[in-house]
Amino acid sequence: MSQTHTPSSGSLRLRFILAVTVWVVLGIGGIWFTATQVFASHIEEMYHEELEVHVRELARLTRLDADGTPHLDRPLSDPRYEEPLSGFYWQVSVAGRPTLKSGSMVRGGLDESVAHSPDIAHVVENGPTGPAITYGLLQTTADGKQVHIVIATDQSELEDDIAAFTHDLTAWLASLAALLLATGFAIISFGLRPLNRLGKAISRLRAGKAQRLEGRYPSEIAPLVGDLNAYIAQNSAIVARSRVEAGKLAHSLRTPLAVITDEAERLCERESCATSGQVLLDQAEAMRQQIEYQLARTSSVAGALVPGSRAVLPDLLVPILNAMRRLHQGKDFELAQMDAPLRVAVDPVNLAELLSILLDNAGKWARDKVGVSVTRTAADEVTIRIRDDGPGMTKEQIALASKVGTRFDHSVPGSGLGLAIARDIAEVIGARIELASSQQGLTASVAIRA
Amino acid sequence: MRILLVEDDPALGQRLGDRLRAADYAVDLATNRAEGEDWPDLDAMAAIILDLGLPDGDGLDLLRYWRSRGVECPILILTARGSWQDKVAGLNAGADDFVVKPVRFEELQARLQALFRRQMGRRDNILKAGSLALDPVGRMVTDKGEPVSLSRREFALLHLFMRRAGQVLSQADILEDLYDLDTERELNTIEVLIGRLRRKIGKDRITTLRGMGYRFEA
Repeated sequence: MSQTHTPSSGSLRLRFILAVTVWVVLGIGGIWFTATQVFASHIEEMYHEELEVHVRELARLTRLDADGTPHLDRPLSDPRYEEPLSGFYWQVSVAGRPTLKSGSMVRGGLDESVAHSPDIAHVVENGPTGPAITYGLLQTTADGKQVHIVIATDQSELEDDIAAFTHDLTAWLASLAALLLATGFAIISFGLRPLNRLGKAISRLRAGKAQRLEGRYPSEIAPLVGDLNAYIAQNSAIVARSRVEAGKLAHSLRTPLAVITDEAERLCERESCATSGQVLLDQAEAMRQQIEYQLARTSSVAGALVPGSRAVLPDLLVPILNAMRRLHQGKDFELAQMDAPLRVAVDPVNLAELLSILLDNAGKWARDKVGVSVTRTAADEVTIRIRDDGPGMTKEQIALASKVGTRFDHSVPGSGLGLAIARDIAEVIGARIELASSQQGLTASVAIRA
Repeated sequence: MRILLVEDDPALGQRLGDRLRAADYAVDLATNRAEGEDWPDLDAMAAIILDLGLPDGDGLDLLRYWRSRGVECPILILTARGSWQDKVAGLNAGADDFVVKPVRFEELQARLQALFRRQMGRRDNILKAGSLALDPVGRMVTDKGEPVSLSRREFALLHLFMRRAGQVLSQADILEDLYDLDTERELNTIEVLIGRLRRKIGKDRITTLRGMGYRFEA
């Protein structure tokens, strides 16, 4: 069966995979972006609230000695302000008095300019250990002294918290994405399984291992499979009917043609009409050739349209060889032993016609013997060789052999159509015919896809 | 030589019959399967020419029926079915050759001769008996290399004798082989014919066996 390939618009599986991948990436990416933004904003807000609390606590604990030197009633409740260079610092300064600093601030100091009003203000500026979020407020004592209260936390503390969260979130979301993708692919595979089964059923049909699409399918594609099977059955019936009708047409033409041929022969026997008779004979012969050739072509093309066709060798050869032994008596038709039957994906009627033509030719020319062998010559190819021990053919004869009406010896019965028809059938069923001549005779090889 | 022609087309049957008769065959014509099944004494036929497309059944079934009844004479299928599928089926059903219509009479005759040769185990057409040689295709008879002039009936009679040299042939056997069923037959015609043939090929070649018939001496 000849196969026509419809241009593909891509793989359905790939489409689903791409769609799922894009969906998961966009979804998880969106979640990641939103979550990190919300968290960063939230944690920043918490930091600021905490620093406000701390600065208020610091203000509440700050006292001035009689000389105006600041001191605290007690340490701040957060112990990180006492740990050296912990990133959490505070300072209290009164103009003209020593600045009071947290135990953590073993070096440097904070810019008190942020503490410029009774309301809490904040800035980001360089602190003892890098950029710091600095909060401050200005308290004015009853005697008019201005107390600058400043608290700072390294910005890296906030950034580290955000980075740690982002890292954990990314790892978690990546795992979720992988899980979602794997689940998505599994769903695609599960969902497409009926289509895979349908593909395999079509392959079996094409390979000639089935006559229809086999199996049960989901309700979405079952009607399609049903329609295809109905189409295949209808097609096979049409092909069978067209073969019969073509045969009937040929039959209805051949009998009147036989009468015309006879009349022409009679005319040829009369001297006065011999020329007319010969013209009629020639034309009748031309018509006979055309009927035979076109009928064979029609039949072979029709046969090639039937999907699921297959022929089994040597079963197909056995009746043909028996017929050849009867037709060419005195000549030995020998089939080489085969280990196991071989199947080929072609219409058996077409293959039988093709092999019969080659075997009949071999029988006509063989001196004593025609040898037939069937071998698997490749994983997907079976070759049938037909060897005769006749005179063989020259290269020129081999080149001319497929031409319609070519006969090399008119003493041997035949129409001169055999090889031309055989070549046509071979083309239709996707087989290759090669003729090779040697001193031992002619070998015709037919290679067919398995 | 007697031939049964089974052909349903009246025009073709008539024409083929005429041709075969002109070539000195005695021809009986059956036009359907039922006639073919009931035809008597088929083994007296030198050959049967069978069309497959018969009005009351398939010629292949008729062929199988004959073979199942032990009919052994050569059968040549002459049909309008031209596929090898049909040819293989016909040959495997017991036909000896298969010819697709239309066929030149020359080729049909050659095929018939090939069947006769095959049946008699000969490789060429020429029948020989001592110095006598008969070529059924060239329609020539020679004795010691010299042509012998024979009429159509004399030729047919000699052909029968030489095919069955050494066998005793009754007058009925000879009538059966030489004349169609439709032809009016008289036994003394055979005596006259044998007398004429003896004069042309030599008396001693045909022996009369009283009450039994004649024997051609090989």
